[in-house]
Amino acid sequence: MRYFLIALVALALTSCASKDTDTGKVKEVEQTWKGKGFTYYPSGQLIPSNSGRGRYGDNYIYAPHIRFPLAYAPAYLNSQVYGIGGRYGPRGSLCDKRNYQYPWRDNFCEKRNRKRSMPLCPTGTGHQGVDIRAKDCRDNTHYAVAVEEGVITYIGSYSVKLRGISGRTYRYLHLNKRSLQVRRGQRVWRGQKIGRVSDNMGSTKTSIHLHFDIKQTIRFGNRSKRVYVPPYASLIDAYKRLLRGRP
Amino acid sequence: MRLLLTILILISYINAESGILDINWPKLNPKHQKPSTPYPNVLTKGIKDTKLPVYIPSNYAYDEKMAVVADKDFYTISFFIDKATVMIAGDRSYQESISKSDTKFEKVIKESPVEFIEDEGVMSTDFNRHGVNYTLSIECEDYTEDERCKDESFLRNLYNRLIIVGGKK
Repeated sequence: MRYFLIALVALALTSCASKDTDTGKVKEVEQTWKGKGFTYYPSGQLIPSNSGRGRYGDNYIYAPHIRFPLAYAPAYLNSQVYGIGGRYGPRGSLCDKRNYQYPWRDNFCEKRNRKRSMPLCPTGTGHQGVDIRAKDCRDNTHYAVAVEEGVITYIGSYSVKLRGISGRTYRYLHLNKRSLQVRRGQRVWRGQKIGRVSDNMGSTKTSIHLHFDIKQTIRFGNRSKRVYVPPYASLIDAYKRLLRGRP
Repeated sequence: MRLLLTILILISYINAESGILDINWPKLNPKHQKPSTPYPNVLTKGIKDTKLPVYIPSNYAYDEKMAVVADKDFYTISFFIDKATVMIAGDRSYQESISKSDTKFEKVIKESPVEFIEDEGVMSTDFNRHGVNYTLSIECEDYTEDERCKDESFLRNLYNRLIIVGGKK
């Protein structure tokens, strides 16, 4: 009886993100979480158009215990490029309310127009982080915060880099430069405000969102490589903690 | 029992796979190590505790406006040039240790040549020297028009000019 129940639970879990054996395509099944209505598609399940191949089924939490990079929920992790109003997405406004609702959609490894060296993507190229929309489409309103205690190592035209005490580097793109609450070399604590989410991309504008990525070093034998790792599972974990009120 | 549980929870919070990479220290060029004109204070003071070879492009070695953020296991140096920021960073920490048979990381393990990649308007390259991982990049104010962020030649030129200016064993 016990084995039967275990098998039943395992079957239920795998069915949330299974492949259609007839077509080989990934089924569009949302994963639900008890609380605040939060739902999300499985890791690596990109928008089923021509948006590329994600790291399907990789639920490994590469950056454990990080804080969610936006100060408050709700937040919406989804594609800027293939979503409504995006360059390759359905026509509409970037501020369309459908861009500001669950379920979350992974966009790590998403196909973009330029060459990107991404050894952890199935095709070897793709988007090196994820795009996150804040609660609503207001510009320069919602704060991004430090995901880990560390030091601000770099501030560029539209990039801020935080090196956490874990040695991981977290990159925050498109924060309003005038809103930055940190300076180069400043030590920050987990949850400290960094700057407000905007459409800043230097002299060119992008949509209002936060691009967030994680770079870390993977060692194998006496060699190592510093690579962008999938943030999706780490962010789902962090977001659930945020929703529970224990970020 | 409670103590055992506490210990188990604490262990789960510590990433046992992380650590510090060993360095194969290179034979240093004495000209770079003790230059005829001393490097600016901002550089020498900034990296005084850094325990990895500190590379920077030779043409910026005397730029007094550089910004240095460093500790014993990493450094990041930024140079502010005309409407762009050049950055070099070195880091000797690692967060994941895997076996060569781990299929999840197949492409990571594969040897690859140094590539110059444009992503999010930033031209960058990642490379490993002496067991340490480095990133060299340039971020432009106008990434759509600025050739330095569209074409790899500017960054490749900086890459070819990298010299060691410090770091202690």
